[in-house]
Amino acid sequence: MSTTAVPTLDVSGTPRTPLSRLVGVEIRKALDTRAGFWFATSIVGLVLVVLLIYTLVAPDDSKNFEDLLGVSGGVLGYFLPILIIMLVTSEQSQRNGLVTFTLEPQRSRVVAAKFLAGVGLAASVMVLASLLALIFTAVAAATGASPEWSVDGNLLFNGFVLTNLVGIVVGFAIATLLMNTPAGIVAYFVYALILPMAAGILSELSSGFEKVAPWIEFNTAQMPLFSGDYQPSGEEWAQIATSGVIWLVIPLVLGTMRLLRIEFK
Amino acid sequence: MITVDRLTKTYGAYTAVDDVSFVCQPGRVTGFLGPNGAGKTTTMRVMVGLTLPTRGQITIGGLRYHDIPNPGRHVGTLLDASAQHVGRSGREILSIAAQTMGLPKTRVDEMLALVGLNDDEAGRRLRNYSLGMKQRLGIAHALLGDPSVLILDEPANGLDPAGIRWMRGLLKGYADRGGTVLLSSHLLHEVEQIADEMILIGRGKIVAQGDRETLLAGANGTPVTMVTSLDNTALGAALTHAGHAVEPAGAGLKVLASPEQVGRTALTAGVVLTDLRSGGAGLEDLFLELTSADAREAVPGVGAPTPGGIPA
Repeated sequence: MSTTAVPTLDVSGTPRTPLSRLVGVEIRKALDTRAGFWFATSIVGLVLVVLLIYTLVAPDDSKNFEDLLGVSGGVLGYFLPILIIMLVTSEQSQRNGLVTFTLEPQRSRVVAAKFLAGVGLAASVMVLASLLALIFTAVAAATGASPEWSVDGNLLFNGFVLTNLVGIVVGFAIATLLMNTPAGIVAYFVYALILPMAAGILSELSSGFEKVAPWIEFNTAQMPLFSGDYQPSGEEWAQIATSGVIWLVIPLVLGTMRLLRIEFK
Repeated sequence: MITVDRLTKTYGAYTAVDDVSFVCQPGRVTGFLGPNGAGKTTTMRVMVGLTLPTRGQITIGGLRYHDIPNPGRHVGTLLDASAQHVGRSGREILSIAAQTMGLPKTRVDEMLALVGLNDDEAGRRLRNYSLGMKQRLGIAHALLGDPSVLILDEPANGLDPAGIRWMRGLLKGYADRGGTVLLSSHLLHEVEQIADEMILIGRGKIVAQGDRETLLAGANGTPVTMVTSLDNTALGAALTHAGHAVEPAGAGLKVLASPEQVGRTALTAGVVLTDLRSGGAGLEDLFLELTSADAREAVPGVGAPTPGGIPA
């Protein structure tokens, strides 16, 4: 081949796609399909229904804003991570990753955008859920209860925001690790429901395991965040950190590495 | 301009692309031709950074795809028209891409009009699209960012004859305006009518490349001509007498000679010709021959076409 001058592409007119735009696109993608839209709507709807039932059946003295916030936080904890799992795995399950990563070949930027979009969506849903909790506290007040309106800052931050954030990151890690929507959702429920149950049963059977459990089982370790005074002790924080390395940091690192290398077909 | 430089891609022991080099020039349509599994798609995937090469590299306008900022504005890609979320409408799929590239919404409507998808079709979800409609949407997607380079994998797949003609005109016009077009196909007829340059690949290796004439000339040193006359028997005899191999083909004759030689023989013999053309079958035979299962063993190390250098 002769070495003729290679005509170069003039790229001066097209700056790199800003991350904010990629985040906007990812939020749009999370909500523009029937599955995505109705799932997000259903989460809020479910919070509404659970709060309604709770206000109807709970005794008057446990209808404080804090109680209702805890109830809606519990619902979100199970379902918010699914939203981010769908956002990540659809790139592979629906194969649109081919286009996503062609339009932005710097994969790490897409991964960052997806993560930020997931956190942004989760934050919006959390705000909506808190508003609903607030409304139902007012309903409780109007129907004879005399609820406490103040909220313990530790509950709000540790029990509501932090635990949900952890759930989202775990969901993100599982999603990148499996890159398959049904498998991701099942794996998340195994992690969130079956694992703590198994840890509980094993702890009942063996006092040795009971001591070890919070160090290796992330759900068990997080208990102090949303119970008691919502303030984990130094040892409990250490347990959260240790089990968090196993269930959050390692999967997240491996999953991200996989997403950066995977061959989208 | 796309430059593929000694590209090799292996999957374990399997070599999908084996030391492939070629160049796609601006202002020309380059046809990438080969049977299924020859390595066309893999090569195109490496072009846009979806697959990492084992060895070698590909640059577009001197840049690696990864280093092109907002690449959709420079390189239009259609690798698989079905690789989109089936729950999104055609319009939504284009809108997402337009938003990613930072293009105005009006661009989406322009492209939908260009590929002939009406409002109703654009609003339908992809799962309700026919393959032809998906293909049109994919072409709209590739053209969205007004790129100077187009990389299209089997773009004619699923298009009806009118659609194929439309696409041919579209790509021709695009190349005439200075664009670089690379399109792949496993169908010779699809490519030979539009491509200025053809690259034949079989089993991961380039078996021949060049324009139509170069390829035919290199086929077996002897051009093939299809001829029909008012007196085929007399013409056949005259051609045989002149030393050209003749065999009947349909209503006419297939001659191992150039159209000029056949024409001259007819003139001397005083036979009136009704049809005279360079043998398309020659190219097809060449294509099948070069890309057949044992092509790899038959043509070791064939790079650029050198007339007569490719064994028949």
